[in-house]
Amino acid sequence: MEQELKAHLKKLMASGDVAGIIALKSERGMAKPYLFADASELECLCLTPKYPMASVARLLLDEDGAARFAIVCRGCDERALRELAKRHQVDLDRLVIVGIPCDEEMARECACPEPFPSVVAVGTKLEQWEAEDIGAAYRAMELDEKLAFWKHQLEKCNKCYGCRNACPMCFCKDCELENALWVKHGRLPPEFPIYHMIRAFHLAGKCIACGECQRACPSDIPLMVLNTLLREDMEELFGYVSGTGADAENPLYTKEEMQ
Amino acid sequence: MKYDNILTTCPFCGCGCKYYIQVVDGVAKSVLPCKEDPISEGHLCIKGWNAIDFVYSKERLTTPLIKENGAFREATWDEAYGLIASKFKEIKARDGAKAFGFFSSAKTTNEENYLMQKLARGVIVTNNVDHCARLCHASTVAGLAASFGSGAMTNSIPEVEDVDCFLITGSNTTEQHPLIGSRIYKAKEKGAKVILVDPRSIQLASIADIHLRQKPGTDVAWLNGLMHVIIKEGIADEEFIEQRTENYGEFKAEVMKYTPERVEEITGIPKADLIAAARMFANAEAASIIYSMGITQHTTGVDNVKSCANLAMLTGNLGKPSTGVNPLRGQNNVQGACDLGALPNVFPGYQAVTVPENREKFEKAWNMAEHIPESIGLTVVEMLNAAHDGALKCLYIMGENPMISDPDITHVREALDALEFLVVQDLFITETAEHADVILPGTSFLEKDGTFTGTDRRVQRIRKAIEPLGNARPDWEILCDVAKHLGSDQFVYASPKEIQDEVASLTPLYGGVTYERLDKEGYLQWPCPNAEHPGTVFLHNGKFSRGLGHFFPVSYKPPAEEPDKDYPLILTTGRILFHFHTGTMTRCSPKLNKEVPTGYVEIHPSDAEAMGIADGDLVQVSTRRGTIQIPAYVTRKVPEKTVFIPFHFKECAANMLTNPALDPIAKIPEFKVCACKVEALGESS
Repeated sequence: MEQELKAHLKKLMASGDVAGIIALKSERGMAKPYLFADASELECLCLTPKYPMASVARLLLDEDGAARFAIVCRGCDERALRELAKRHQVDLDRLVIVGIPCDEEMARECACPEPFPSVVAVGTKLEQWEAEDIGAAYRAMELDEKLAFWKHQLEKCNKCYGCRNACPMCFCKDCELENALWVKHGRLPPEFPIYHMIRAFHLAGKCIACGECQRACPSDIPLMVLNTLLREDMEELFGYVSGTGADAENPLYTKEEMQ
Repeated sequence: MKYDNILTTCPFCGCGCKYYIQVVDGVAKSVLPCKEDPISEGHLCIKGWNAIDFVYSKERLTTPLIKENGAFREATWDEAYGLIASKFKEIKARDGAKAFGFFSSAKTTNEENYLMQKLARGVIVTNNVDHCARLCHASTVAGLAASFGSGAMTNSIPEVEDVDCFLITGSNTTEQHPLIGSRIYKAKEKGAKVILVDPRSIQLASIADIHLRQKPGTDVAWLNGLMHVIIKEGIADEEFIEQRTENYGEFKAEVMKYTPERVEEITGIPKADLIAAARMFANAEAASIIYSMGITQHTTGVDNVKSCANLAMLTGNLGKPSTGVNPLRGQNNVQGACDLGALPNVFPGYQAVTVPENREKFEKAWNMAEHIPESIGLTVVEMLNAAHDGALKCLYIMGENPMISDPDITHVREALDALEFLVVQDLFITETAEHADVILPGTSFLEKDGTFTGTDRRVQRIRKAIEPLGNARPDWEILCDVAKHLGSDQFVYASPKEIQDEVASLTPLYGGVTYERLDKEGYLQWPCPNAEHPGTVFLHNGKFSRGLGHFFPVSYKPPAEEPDKDYPLILTTGRILFHFHTGTMTRCSPKLNKEVPTGYVEIHPSDAEAMGIADGDLVQVSTRRGTIQIPAYVTRKVPEKTVFIPFHFKECAANMLTNPALDPIAKIPEFKVCACKVEALGESS
């Protein structure tokens, strides 16, 4: 897939349609997000591990108010870009999405609801895919077990804000997690359960199930259990699945949320 | 538009997390965790995530300053160098090299530490060079070198995940070394046992199987007590003791005096808990001791360290994965600053200055006409004392802030003011720099190339991501320029890579460390003596660095100052998650400073009630050294009759209070115990 993608991107670059291509570059044996501006550099393009590419796109679109970029996108990246566009955080007209599918191993690691973008430019998407229900074990617990579960998990929190920082959907300039009205400053672990609950609730209708928060957590807190439950509620209560359908209106989105 | 990610190493603690700096058109935008870095694995702590904030602080120093008539004025580099050269020459001609002192820096690179000691030893010709390791792990360097022959963390950070039983003491790991703390949680999930020995109920207490809350300053007693139980119950590793160690008999005779009853009397640790901990530790397959300042910052610091070494040897927990004696180094490059000879007794690679062949080797390499003194130089605290007495006239401080970090700040201030000439090289006009005659603007980790050595002896690159701000210059360039202005022709390097090549040629420990290999392999752990050597994951495999491990009999000595009628409480000090050391970098980082904007004194509810103190009240804390006013934090985190103050905050500086009494060998001050009193002021802060 890598060679095919490089050829595809070279063509795209030659067309002069984009100022650069946002993708992963391999340097000294490690992958990093990069803006490819020269076809010769594409030899160093790589595909793994996953990085939050939608956040990179948002940064670069902000930095350059006019340029148009291509971006190599997985399913989660595309979902994030769509949800960001609904909130006016990215301009999809300035992005050319080059979709690539995830293989089964990657899809399973993320328990991804849809491990491929809407249009797959290179590669073949998984034919049959059903994501693991990561909320199942939790739902089977009694109420007191649920409380004990979260107490145990959340007291490991290092208050790094990594879950928020890594999240492609956390774009607010002023974050309520840092508001002393809700969460006492300077306490470790942060107050139970408000710190993590604020983040979870603010992600309702936003979380696109990329799993970056959980992967960023040094303490292995299973944040995707929380997020999955909220995604389910959003679907049940409002019939909305975030990140799918560029035209679908988000039921929790209000003008006041715009920054 | 140019967008790139520059891989570099974190400038805060000793974990050595590598991460990317997102750079757009030459401006650093944010930190991006590196998912393939073996230490961070894509995780960071709050300081790492916010590591670029201080770099762009408005407070950054971007031009040299010269003090005239009591006030600083901006100066050119040539003016600053010219003044330094003329004053240095004048003082050396009049008072000799012994009138000089050099404070190197655990925050700067290996290359810069090498140059600082080269400047001291090779140009001024004095061994008076030291750095803040004196205040944190001097006792480790001395103690473990004596017991094992090598004064560093024996094992590696990734191994922590597979430890079966931890003894964590004097390390608030989740706050001070978060990416090691997170591995303790992982090990616990896999079934590891956790023995925590700490007076305070730190975050790890919630997962501890046994939490022993000793009276501060009684560590030798409980360590001997643990070993007493292990020997008495016949669960020591006889084979290891027989084959790998010496002096067991004398050691055994000493620890047998420490019955659990006697230990309970000294330490306050219940006898039954001590016995349970001893069994848990000795019976584990792979048991690891993790310690930090709670062990080292005592007048018995070296004794404490030797006791930890004894316990590991007694149970055979050395020379294999996920075991060992693991001092966690507090600063990004405090390991490297020691390794590169920024210490008064050793050249780079711990080659003793007292050995004639070592002096000859460096005199020859540096093309010296004069001879390096055969006696060891002064330590940080001794240099300040010498300045206070008028014997030391000139001090060059790079990236250190003794006005906050050293014990008894009043004494430090008097010492700095007594100097004839003080040069400070830093990113900011620190509390120390205010006393300088010349301030040189150095650069942060983002603005230069070099290497840091993390706590597990891991040498890693930092890479220049942005140009130096204003007229600031990389610290290695400044040191070379100063040497050149003093007439040396031995400081000609095109880049830090060339400095490392010189280090490798003179330092067997780093002999195989090259920039090419670091680029290719990501890191190298010393000892790495030659180009083919893969580096060393854990030390003492099959043989100790000194041959046999040495059991030192250690007897308990009380702290230098104990509570009495006038000062009835114990004061202990330390760091917190959200700040770093003297706050120079973290207090100008908005997100970090917002979490904890000022200091506080932790006080137990029963003590607070007896004194009529409510949470948040402004109180007065006094010791025989000084008095500060500080808000009270009423919490069960501290035991009764013990208060804790983080030392980061200049407006309520813990080190106005601390006791400068020193360990006789390591010369480390007793930051962890002194007698104090707390008084209500009747106002809320």
